[in-house]
Amino acid sequence: MAHQSDSDTGLEDQRDAGTASGVSNSDYDYSNFYYSSSDDLFAIFGPYDDWWYGTARKNGYYLFSQPMSTPPGAQINLEEQLNHQPVELLNLASYNYLGLSHHPEVIAAAKQALDHYGLGAAGSPILSGTMDVHLTLEKELAAFKKKEAVMVFPTGYSTNVGLLSALLRPGDWVILDQNVHASIVDGAILAKAQVRFFRHNQPADLEKKLRGTTGKRLVVVEGVYSMDGDMVCLPEMVEVSKRHGAKIMIDEAHSTFMYGKEGRGVAEHFGLEDEVDIHVGTFSKALGGQGGFVAGSQSLYNYLMGFARSRVFSCALAPAVTAGVLQALRITKREPQLRATLWSNVAHFRGLMSAGGVDVGDSTSQIIPIMIRNDRRILAIAQKLQQAGLYLQPIIFPAVAKHRSRFRVSISATHTTAQLDQAAAILINTLREEGIL
Amino acid sequence: MNRLKPGEVQYQYRHAIGGFFEFPIEHARKLLPSSMSPIEMHHGQGILSVMMFDFSGSQVGEYGELVLSVPVAPRLVPGRPMPRASFFPFLVGTTTQASREHAIELWHLPHFMEDIQIEFTVEEHDIRAAASQDGKKILNMHITDYEWEPVEHHYQAFERDATGTYMATMAMNAQFSENEEERGSIEIHQHPFTAGISAAGVNTTPFRELWMRDGFQTFQPLEKIGAGAA
Repeated sequence: MAHQSDSDTGLEDQRDAGTASGVSNSDYDYSNFYYSSSDDLFAIFGPYDDWWYGTARKNGYYLFSQPMSTPPGAQINLEEQLNHQPVELLNLASYNYLGLSHHPEVIAAAKQALDHYGLGAAGSPILSGTMDVHLTLEKELAAFKKKEAVMVFPTGYSTNVGLLSALLRPGDWVILDQNVHASIVDGAILAKAQVRFFRHNQPADLEKKLRGTTGKRLVVVEGVYSMDGDMVCLPEMVEVSKRHGAKIMIDEAHSTFMYGKEGRGVAEHFGLEDEVDIHVGTFSKALGGQGGFVAGSQSLYNYLMGFARSRVFSCALAPAVTAGVLQALRITKREPQLRATLWSNVAHFRGLMSAGGVDVGDSTSQIIPIMIRNDRRILAIAQKLQQAGLYLQPIIFPAVAKHRSRFRVSISATHTTAQLDQAAAILINTLREEGIL
Repeated sequence: MNRLKPGEVQYQYRHAIGGFFEFPIEHARKLLPSSMSPIEMHHGQGILSVMMFDFSGSQVGEYGELVLSVPVAPRLVPGRPMPRASFFPFLVGTTTQASREHAIELWHLPHFMEDIQIEFTVEEHDIRAAASQDGKKILNMHITDYEWEPVEHHYQAFERDATGTYMATMAMNAQFSENEEERGSIEIHQHPFTAGISAAGVNTTPFRELWMRDGFQTFQPLEKIGAGAA
């Protein structure tokens, strides 16, 4: 069934009068509706809709999930969801770090695969869903990552969920940086492993959390953290993990194909590719596609083939997407200048932010948080930015801590200097008008 | 202050401060009746809520109160507001016998049955509260501010004793500040009051700090929602 917009259903008008209870919930957020107790499974829908239609949506939540009608490039068109008007925006919100999602060769490869294989894989990868293009991608990616084997998953989320739930069992320990992606946490939960979180990027706290653990242990870090754009202090993390006899895994969703001399990621950057036991990456960020992968030993591949349930019980990655990702991989290998352009753009934009006195937190990467630190005002500022022609996504609690709200800028190699200058000018002017600067 | 409706009870306070601290979910479960589930901060991490009140006016006069509780799932009641949060207070301490007897009678709250002392030290951007009993330290909490705004927040509290399981609903009106800047702290000392939490692995830095000042707390009449503890 097609999704109906709020104006289609008329629900928005019904809720305009406010909440059914008449009590303001203007400072509520998603976290207020996660837990509830009732005899009726659907009882939470009423209070949630009261909040969503009465307060949240009109106060700025409509800015999330606005439908785009163009590729996720530097310039986009989307339908603004409050008044349902088409708008043209300068886009600093999409991952697409190397601009490959709409690269002509990538599109041509995907089209050719679509003609050749049809729409879907029509089966689980362990049954009839594996096609030659999947194995070619795995083989070329393993060679690129300098690992014995790579396993491809349908999404980045299913990669971590499948990997962790395949390896860990009740009683095992998984020690997570507190800022790791939800897919890692969900994988640990699904495995029913014992979980401890260490304070973000603090090896001393990792050490503390490893103390007293026995048996099978896995430490999980990310190469670049998705909300703060800061890089893991990998040497220290590896040292502490190894000293305690724990295996260490790195999720390089936001760093593979960008960091390191050859683009293999943060582990390459630090010269620690062999010391890290499991490498994870995705195709949806730098390669502009979809899917994820695990890189490691052939034995790891063999075991995951049998026990990574999120992969076993999913249809294989669509062959057209697989072929597009494969071509994107080949382009990244062939054209290291894409990475150079990306880093040049990052340096340029970072310089503009610094000159403008903008708080970018601890970022050192292509993810540049514009710290607003006010959960309510950020939504109003986001609306003003959009009206001024700049597309940025507000990141608010509970995605980040209360009052650590920020806009997440994603720099791409396809941004021109003029576009970055324009975006910075809009951003700085708006922040000045709003008294943030 | 609002005009009270029949059955409502109101308390005025100069300061009400709170810290939310991570501690193992297994320990949170031990503090709750089996019918209630603790809210998780992260997977495997429950929340210890420590609230300290400096009441300036009530049916039993001025007094201080220390409340240890575990946040639990809000109970949905048709036609009523979704509460901002719900708590199961598992131990309350007060500075006067009158306030203790009052809270036990009206709200069925589990109390530490001796007077404690609570001292608040207020500075421009932070507040410290020290709870003790006749010179023996119980706990110290330090809370910092962020931006202030006037609010009306609705909460639930669940209580259970031999007579039944109860739900209290209340509104907190005050100047309010809340942050997750991790600048506050708690020191939990060895004392009979803290016996249930001193060895529980409570994080000493609150992930959330709350501070309400110059406000009032309005309780609706207590509702019995279930049987008592066996």
